[in-house]
Amino acid sequence: MNRTPAEQTWDEFDTLPSGFADIRKTAADNFKSSGLPTRRVEEFKWTDLRRLIDQPYPPIIGKLHGDIDALIAVSPFAGIAKNRLVFINGLFDQARSKMPDDSNVTITTLSGKPDMDFSLKADDPLDNLNIAYASDGALIRISGKVKDPIELVYISSTKEPATVTTRNIIELDEGAEATILETCTGGKSAYVSNNATEIRLAKGARLDRVRLLDDGPLGIQLSNLIADLGENSKLADFTFIIGGRTVRNQGFATFTGQHAAVNISGAYMLKGKQHADTTLVIDHAVPSCESRELFKCVMDDTSRGVFQAKVIVARDAQKSDGQQTANALLLSDTAEFDAKPELEIYADDVLCGHGATSGDLDNNHLFYLMSRGIPESRARAMLIAAFASSSFEEISNEAVREKFNQIADGWLERQMEV
Amino acid sequence: MADIDTIERVKEIEVDKYKYGFESDIESDLAPKGLSEDVIRFISDKKGEPEWMLEWRLDAYRRWRTMSEPTWAKVNYPKVDFDDLYYYSAPKSFKDGPQSLEDVDPELLATYEKLGISLKEQEVLAGVRRSDEPSKLESNGLDIPKGAVAVDAVFDSVSVVTTFKKELAKAGVIFCPISEALRDHPDLVKKYLGSVVPVSDNFYATLNSAVFSDGSFVYIPPGVRCPMELSTYFRINEKNTGQFERTLIIADKGSYVSYLEGCTAPMRDENQLHAAVVELVLLEDAEIKYSTVQNWYPGDAEGKGGIYNFVTKRADCRGDNSSVSWTQVETGSAVTWKYPSCILRGDNSSGEFYSIAVSNGYQQVDSGTKMIHLGKNTSSRIISKGISAGHSDNTYRGIVSAHRKATGARNFTQCDSLLIGDKCSAHTVPYIEAKTPTAQFEHEATTSKISDEQMFYCQARGINEEEAVALIVNGFARDVIQKLPMEFMAETQRLIGISLEGSVG
Repeated sequence: MNRTPAEQTWDEFDTLPSGFADIRKTAADNFKSSGLPTRRVEEFKWTDLRRLIDQPYPPIIGKLHGDIDALIAVSPFAGIAKNRLVFINGLFDQARSKMPDDSNVTITTLSGKPDMDFSLKADDPLDNLNIAYASDGALIRISGKVKDPIELVYISSTKEPATVTTRNIIELDEGAEATILETCTGGKSAYVSNNATEIRLAKGARLDRVRLLDDGPLGIQLSNLIADLGENSKLADFTFIIGGRTVRNQGFATFTGQHAAVNISGAYMLKGKQHADTTLVIDHAVPSCESRELFKCVMDDTSRGVFQAKVIVARDAQKSDGQQTANALLLSDTAEFDAKPELEIYADDVLCGHGATSGDLDNNHLFYLMSRGIPESRARAMLIAAFASSSFEEISNEAVREKFNQIADGWLERQMEV
Repeated sequence: MADIDTIERVKEIEVDKYKYGFESDIESDLAPKGLSEDVIRFISDKKGEPEWMLEWRLDAYRRWRTMSEPTWAKVNYPKVDFDDLYYYSAPKSFKDGPQSLEDVDPELLATYEKLGISLKEQEVLAGVRRSDEPSKLESNGLDIPKGAVAVDAVFDSVSVVTTFKKELAKAGVIFCPISEALRDHPDLVKKYLGSVVPVSDNFYATLNSAVFSDGSFVYIPPGVRCPMELSTYFRINEKNTGQFERTLIIADKGSYVSYLEGCTAPMRDENQLHAAVVELVLLEDAEIKYSTVQNWYPGDAEGKGGIYNFVTKRADCRGDNSSVSWTQVETGSAVTWKYPSCILRGDNSSGEFYSIAVSNGYQQVDSGTKMIHLGKNTSSRIISKGISAGHSDNTYRGIVSAHRKATGARNFTQCDSLLIGDKCSAHTVPYIEAKTPTAQFEHEATTSKISDEQMFYCQARGINEEEAVALIVNGFARDVIQKLPMEFMAETQRLIGISLEGSVG
């Protein structure tokens, strides 16, 4: 296949920071041979990135543009987290960051530690693209129970269309606990933000991670989660997608120890021409683990929501328990929802199930509220917010839940500039 | 080891042709091996088809040459060498097969007996005679067990067919082989053939369009309720429709027909590759109920040599208020690749899909349905029960989609999988595409195994292990079994039990 303009600019880019050259080369070669996935690739059936990434996005590193502080203020977690790591256009910004003061937290940035031990997911084109061009990121190592949430903010604010790439590793030692809050946002120009996080949980570790993806109106967010769950560990991951032109939110979770649990949930609130896709693969490679996925998707105007989740239960992974749920609320005649909740099961003593629904607002509910004197527009807003916010129950931090409820409640009035 | 036992029972069907001296006289009516335009001309000429039909076949063939075999299904089998197949042979002479039931493997007969199949039918199934030939039972004085006699006495296929034809003609129903329809009703065939499954729909359907051997043609005139259930099994020469069967059923305005395909007994068959196409056309207010029981040879204990069943089945609800229902019981074949679909084009039309897929041994099943909602207020319902045992793979793959204009579309899908043993696998791959907010789609799926409590409960009441499994599985699949026509219902329950023999213990 011909190289697209976007692929060409990536091919030509060679001014990356030093470090992990071997894995970078492998990843770049893999990406060169696969290229951007088209809808002919089953996993990208509903999100044709070759078509969606339709112009050159040359990688940039650093280069401030626009009102960065205003963009940082988008983060709803300001009052909740006492510390903050800020990445601007793929480079760690020391001045705008505040490092946590906790002996159980060790943070190194990629620019400060070029020998980071990344593991490449070689069959995923987006992960290849990420490693090949990652310019910065954080290695966060948690060695005990950390109470204060740690905030990460990613800003993509460029003058010309550009690609911004970051990659993190979050490692929790045995019995460690932490909460990570992330915000991805960006300016008004077109950009590709490719943001990957590897999570490694040792025995009995517990990580809560909550993200708000609120990219700029022309922003393309490619987000990847690669999680490795040790014995008795627990990961609760929540993603609230509200901004961006195109969002591809991928998650790969593999159980490597028994009795571990993962919960990957989220909500979409889309309008205009937004397109959001969550694609998850949960690999029950060992027995007695539990996985949960719950997504609530609201689509208005001509937006399109996609949810694909695959639960794999390996041959000997008895006593696996996997449940997936995706519910969609379509608010306009031109909105679309596509779902593929997939089960691939090779063991017999398992409890796996999935449910998916799609529909519009219930007129009876609307009538109930309106008959109590609530104007129609307000009643609709309430019902929509209630639908989306039912997923927020999965978030354990109450303050975060409260913030998300406010965002959901004000969503109907929110203007999309596309 | 009882696993092997079940397989042994059906093994003979495929293998016995060698055992009983397969030294056929060289048949004159054999097309050369492989596929070329000449072979297609040969087939068309042999069947005395009109010129347009030949062109249609050739067009399909040319398109097929440019296509490649699909690989997306979760099945794994040695590639078929399409140039190493015979695409036409005159009806096989039955000299090659067993000469009487005495020559047939007793194990196979025991299976038939369990299914409650009459002796005369057994002859046909085991390949002793063709359905239109007189039975050999009277002449060889075979001891007919008591109890089977009453059934036998009334069950003579030839006479059934005769009375049957008379009654259908009275109602104006056309039911004949498609080759005959091409001769007698060319306008109807020309109008509808390929209108539901287009010539180049998919690799196997295109191949079928080029080389289809024969199949059923049914036309139900407006307002007619077909007086009886139609069955391929009764149609003369059904036995020799070959591997590329083509079925076309047209239900005109306000008509109704129930069609049964296949039978519960293991079928003797020489062809490894089966690529059938079934097209159903429904005009306003028409209703078709299509039931299939498929129990072809699943292969030996290592899964070798079974039938590849690559079928394209589709119903087009063209008229408003039409409704179609697919019910399938899939227990046979080594590899099954089958997605009976409904195009819900007419307003208020409805589609249903009820399926039981049982896989054991090394069988691989990739089956499901497509519900394409195009008209307003269309509704569909999918109930799929997959049961996998032994080393088998059982996949449900389906799509439910609503077009922008399909306001008020409604779907309910339930896919349940039951796993028996820890060497088998069950997969669910549902696609849901909603393009209108007024479409209400619900999908749920579960995977489970037979619980120890259920087994204990049954066994504590003196039911042995295998019977208990059969009982529980039949309960699991009850929603679908109840949708089967009366004739199939009892047989299917027994068939499920037999298919799963040896899956526990």
